[in-house]
Amino acid sequence: MKFLPTILAAALTLASPLAAAPLKIAYSDWPGWVAWEIGIQKGWFKEAGVDVEFQWFDYVPSMDAFVAGKVDAVCMTNGDALVTGATGKPSVGILINDFSNGNDMIVAAPGIASIKELKGKKVGLEEGFVTHLLLLTGLEKNGMKAEDVTLVNTPTNETPQVLASKAVDAISAWQPNSGQALKALPGSKPVFTSADAPGIIYDLLYVSAESLEKNRAEWAKVVKVWYRIAEYIRDEENIDDALKILSGRVKISPEEYEPFLKGTYILTLDEALKRWEKGEGLGNVYGSSKVVNDFNLKAGVYKKLQDVDKYLDPSFTKALATKE
Amino acid sequence: MARPGILRNWFLIRRDLPQSRALTLTALSFLLPIGVWCAVSYVPWLWHPDVKIELSAEREGVTTVFTAGDHVSPEFFPEFVAAVRAENEAVLKARATASPASGARRKNQRILRQLAPVAVANGWLAHDDTQNDAVIYQLLGDLASGRKTSTNPQLTAENLDIIRSNRAVLAAASNEFVFSKLPDEPLLKLVPQGRPANPVYLPAPHEVLRAGYRDFTADVPDGSPTMGQRYQNSLRIIFFGFLWACAVGIPVGILCGVFDFFSRLIEPFVDFFRYMPAPTFSTLLVAVLLAGEAPKIALVFIGTVFQMVLVISKTTRLLDPSLLEAAQTLGAKPRQILTSVVIPGILPNLYNDLRILLGWAWTWLVIAELIGVKSGLTEFIETQGRFRNFDRVFPIIILIGVTGFVTDQFLSWLHGLMFPWAGKSGRLSRGIFSVLTLPFRLVAEGARERIAANEAAFPSRPRRTP
Repeated sequence: MKFLPTILAAALTLASPLAAAPLKIAYSDWPGWVAWEIGIQKGWFKEAGVDVEFQWFDYVPSMDAFVAGKVDAVCMTNGDALVTGATGKPSVGILINDFSNGNDMIVAAPGIASIKELKGKKVGLEEGFVTHLLLLTGLEKNGMKAEDVTLVNTPTNETPQVLASKAVDAISAWQPNSGQALKALPGSKPVFTSADAPGIIYDLLYVSAESLEKNRAEWAKVVKVWYRIAEYIRDEENIDDALKILSGRVKISPEEYEPFLKGTYILTLDEALKRWEKGEGLGNVYGSSKVVNDFNLKAGVYKKLQDVDKYLDPSFTKALATKE
Repeated sequence: MARPGILRNWFLIRRDLPQSRALTLTALSFLLPIGVWCAVSYVPWLWHPDVKIELSAEREGVTTVFTAGDHVSPEFFPEFVAAVRAENEAVLKARATASPASGARRKNQRILRQLAPVAVANGWLAHDDTQNDAVIYQLLGDLASGRKTSTNPQLTAENLDIIRSNRAVLAAASNEFVFSKLPDEPLLKLVPQGRPANPVYLPAPHEVLRAGYRDFTADVPDGSPTMGQRYQNSLRIIFFGFLWACAVGIPVGILCGVFDFFSRLIEPFVDFFRYMPAPTFSTLLVAVLLAGEAPKIALVFIGTVFQMVLVISKTTRLLDPSLLEAAQTLGAKPRQILTSVVIPGILPNLYNDLRILLGWAWTWLVIAELIGVKSGLTEFIETQGRFRNFDRVFPIIILIGVTGFVTDQFLSWLHGLMFPWAGKSGRLSRGIFSVLTLPFRLVAEGARERIAANEAAFPSRPRRTP
């Protein structure tokens, strides 16, 4: 039994909270989070002296992993953080990567030109999560009700095939999945995107409260590395290199990836500071989270209003800004 | 009229064909499907319902970028071409009215790169070097002057005109590629070109071979596995899953086959359990064993072990009862019967059972690799399939098929080698067997001779009688 000692050793490592354990971060295919890959591949985390382990997941499984305590942090939208908190495990957002500026889309099959024409039709999306929120927002803006469409629960990364198979009339997904859907069924078009409601979806890094308490200094380093990534990606000189890294992670070509950069507005440190200011409306992350919070309650995603302030901690960004 | 000899005697009821004919048919069983595949792929008037883009263009304000190699419907393709032509007209009109748009450097760089797939197809550029702007810039000049001509695909007269027009604009600024010297006003886009093709899920054989070769030789970014490592990873999961299943399944199966006690105690539950599909345990396994390889191996184990217990207990029961009776008559104890009669008796059949069960284990691989953190060959199949790169999926599927087939053929051949008395061995394996066992037989021969010599030397040794 050569294995037994190894298994025992592994079990022991898992059981004992070693101080030297790396920060485990779950990330998925949203362009704003794929951007972490630049820091990973260029070794910037090591340079900053912080031990991180990024784990690649599909989006919903990444949140499951967070709830199950398998990772210390997860990349989520501000709305889904509330959903995950209400139904599983609360978290604290310490960093705004970006806001969605068109990359979240409702893509309708050929022949459907507007969201109004979706009445009585089937829409494939992941129920209870950000794609659902997008559809409901779109319906509301067009004076329609949630009951006007039939939902088909579909994992986001399967939506392109499902739309192409004509099993549904429309899907709700983010890039690169929405783009793949548009390609898989030529003639299909986006009838509603996050650019029609900018600020409804912010994308953040959410950390578990216990890890945040224990490793504050380490998380501050992670935030610092992020702004190095944001600056790099926003510089036109680096665009080919950045595209190569980003598109490589999700295995599509750089040419196809380039339009995504417009649809995901990656925030620089200064821009992010403005988004952290408390206020009403979608122009800041507090206002946006409040809107989504009310929305989720009304839609019955959860039963009790969440305390938005507890989910957000701007101190890391602010501390970094005063230092620079 | 008598049929010629070659056509006769192919269909004989319950009689084996001569070896040469059997071999021909075996070859044909592989060549026929490949032949059909080739025919559908290469005979132009067979099928070909799609248009495969050979030269693509981006459209303004549309986030969907078609790249060379993408398939579109023949209805959509003219729309696509018309959209690009309209954009070119707008550019020309703006130039004519002397109010050209500006800030188009990056866009122009991408327009230049429209030629990259053409350059790759003609062998002027390596397939992983499509951002080599310097080479593409030179190529534009060569194509404009006619020094180089693209044969694959042939550029249309319209596109050659556009190339010359763009070349004229570019040459005014610089003779070689410098990003800052690219014109600020937009260049003309090449108009998309395509050719009839089969749907994306049926790539041609040469495309599959090329994609497979590239994937197996490609450099991968740090941290992600090479194809060889993925393959090893998949094999390891199968191997350990099956090994654990054998470690549990074989002893339990034999015990159930021999003793009614174990059969009544274990088999009903096993019979019940095997109807629960193994994948339904996947989330449970991930929760218990965490991410990594353990839950995957466990899935293969669960999927295989219950069948194994039942199959092996049945095989054990089928052992010729007269062997057991004979052993009992000779006074063998239960443990002796188990080790000296049952196990050697069922070995050839047990071996064949395991061969079939190994194939069974392979069927769980795909599901096993999808649970928890996706891994191995399946992760590759999954991501590439999702992006409809089926030319990259087929080599992997074929690889799994070949691996299974070769393993099984090898194990089947080994059967003849290890169990020559079970009657299915060929001349070759019998030969190898006799070579391998030669030393043992020599030793045994020597021993027998010595005993005989001893007996000859002491013929008067008294024999005890009972």
